[in-house]
Amino acid sequence: MPKVRRSRKSPPEGWELIEPTLEELEQKMREAETEPHEGKRKQESLWPIFKIHHQKSRYIYDLFYRRKAISRELYQYCLDEKIADANLIAKWKKTGYENLCCLRCIQTRDTNFATNCICRVPKSKLEEGRIVECVHCGCRGCSG
Amino acid sequence: MAVSKSTNTYNRQNWEDSDFPVLCQTCLGDNPYIRMTKEKYGKECKICARPFTVFRWCPGARMRFKKTEICQTCSKLKNVCQTCLLDLEYGLPIQVRDAALKIQDDLPRNEVNKEYYIQNLDSQMSKFDATQPSNSALKSKGASDLLLRLARTAPYYKRNRPHVCSFWVKGECRRGEECPYRHEKPTDPDDPLADQNIKDRYYGVNDPVAEKLMRRAAAMPALPPPEDRTVTTLYVGNLPDNITEEELRGHFYQYGEIRSLTLVPRAQCAFVQYTTRGAAEHAAEKTFNRLVIGGKRLTIKWGKSQGRQGINEKNEVAPALEPVPGLPGTLPPPPAYLHPFPPQMPPPANRPNDFFNLHHYGGGWGAWGPIPPPGPPPLRLHYPSQDPARLGAHAHAHTPST
Repeated sequence: MPKVRRSRKSPPEGWELIEPTLEELEQKMREAETEPHEGKRKQESLWPIFKIHHQKSRYIYDLFYRRKAISRELYQYCLDEKIADANLIAKWKKTGYENLCCLRCIQTRDTNFATNCICRVPKSKLEEGRIVECVHCGCRGCSG
Repeated sequence: MAVSKSTNTYNRQNWEDSDFPVLCQTCLGDNPYIRMTKEKYGKECKICARPFTVFRWCPGARMRFKKTEICQTCSKLKNVCQTCLLDLEYGLPIQVRDAALKIQDDLPRNEVNKEYYIQNLDSQMSKFDATQPSNSALKSKGASDLLLRLARTAPYYKRNRPHVCSFWVKGECRRGEECPYRHEKPTDPDDPLADQNIKDRYYGVNDPVAEKLMRRAAAMPALPPPEDRTVTTLYVGNLPDNITEEELRGHFYQYGEIRSLTLVPRAQCAFVQYTTRGAAEHAAEKTFNRLVIGGKRLTIKWGKSQGRQGINEKNEVAPALEPVPGLPGTLPPPPAYLHPFPPQMPPPANRPNDFFNLHHYGGGWGAWGPIPPPGPPPLRLHYPSQDPARLGAHAHAHTPST
C-alpha cells in the first residue's frame, strides 16, 4: 500500500463498495505503525503489520476468487495500486499454500538449514502438544 | 579485543579452526541425526580468550540450543567436553576427577603466560594423535575406584533443558504456553549450586558441583580394614542359593592364596580366610559393594578379631564365685587363647562380640549347654579345681549328662 496516492487513475466500478473496508484496514495499519514497541520482544514488533497486510490482501483475494464479487478491472486496479500483495496472492493459488501467512515464512534462503518456517509444518507432523508461534509474523500454523 | 574478524590478524596462526567439536554424549542429545551450525572464529574461548570455531545445535526435542564454550585446545588439555566442561570419560567435574587421580593443575593463569603455554601445547598437540587426551597424567592413570563409583554411566539429558523463564519468575511472562523457557520455580539462590563459574570449574577450584560429589563420595559406605593385623577372614553374605564352594573359591582365589573357605548354605554366607593380610585387604577392596554373583550383590564384611574375642569372653566368663578362704592368693587364670574350646557359658542375650552371628544357627554348641555348678549344692566353698572350665579340663568330652 503506497503511503501517498499518486495515481491519477480514477478507480473502476464498485470501488465505493470495498473502499470503507479498505479504509478501515488502512486505519488499523496506521495504528499498528504508531504503536510503541515497549514491552514487546524484538521479533514481536512487526507481527501486527504482517497480520494487517495479510488481512487486506486476503479481503481482495476472497472478493475476486471466492465470492466473485468484484470485477477483474477493480481487482487489477487494487494490485496495481498495491492495495493487495500480488506475490502473496500468487502463492495462495498454489495447493498447500492456501493459507500462507507471509512470504518471509517460505523464504528458505533466510534460514540456517534452508528450511521453511515452523508455521509451515502441518500440525500432524509436529510433536504432540507443541505450540508454535513463528518469529517472522507470529503465525501459529498456516499449513493444515 | 574489539576488532573485526577480518582486520585482527594478531597471532592469527593460533586461532582454532576445527571441523568437529569435542563433546560428551549428554551434550549431543538423544537424536542421532543432529544438524549443527559451524561458525569459524565465532566467539572467544571462555578460558584462553582466543577466537575459536563455535558449533551450535539442538540436542533433541524440547531442549535448548547448546554451543561450544571453550576451544578445543583447552578442552583437550583437560580431556573435557567443550560445552559442559565435564570429563569425557567419567562425566565428572574436573575438580573431582583431578582429586581422584591426584593430578596437579599446573596451567598458568597469567594472561601472557597462558597464551605462550597454550601456543606451545597447540603445536605439540598437532604432531600427535588428536583422539587421545593430551595430558599424559590422564592417559597413564587407570580408573580410580572413586571415579568409577561417582561416574555417570548413562547420559543425563535433563541438563539440556531450557532455562527457567526469568519473566515468569517475576510474574511478567506474557507468552504463556508458547514460551520456550521453563515455567518452573527457580532453584534457591542460597543454594551453592546456583553460583557457578566457568573458569573455576575449568581450573577445578571452588566448584560447588564437585564439592557436592565429594561429599557424596565421603558418605558412601566404606569397609575399613580392622586394626587387628591378624584378621585375614572375610565374611561373604547374601549368597545365591545354588552357589558352590568351588565357584566361590574360584572367585576369591584371584585376590590371593586362600587358607580356608567355609560355606554356610543355611545362612547363605561364607567365610574366606586368606593366608596373608594383604590378600584379604585386596579382596575386601575389590569386592566390597561391587561383587555380584548370580544376580545378587554380595555383602562383604571383615571377620571379627580373634584376640579381642578371647579377652571379651574371658571377661564375660569370669564367674562370680566366692573365694576360697585361706588361700595364699589367687593365681592368674590361664590365658583364654590357650584354651582349646569355647568356655562353657550360655550365650548372653546380647553378646557384644557376636562372632558372625553364628550363635543362632550353630547347633553344635547347644550340646555343650550350660553346665550346672559341679559339686553338691550345699557345699558353700568353691575350689577353682572344681570348675571344669578351668585347668584345661576337657569338659566337653565328658559333659555331664544331667
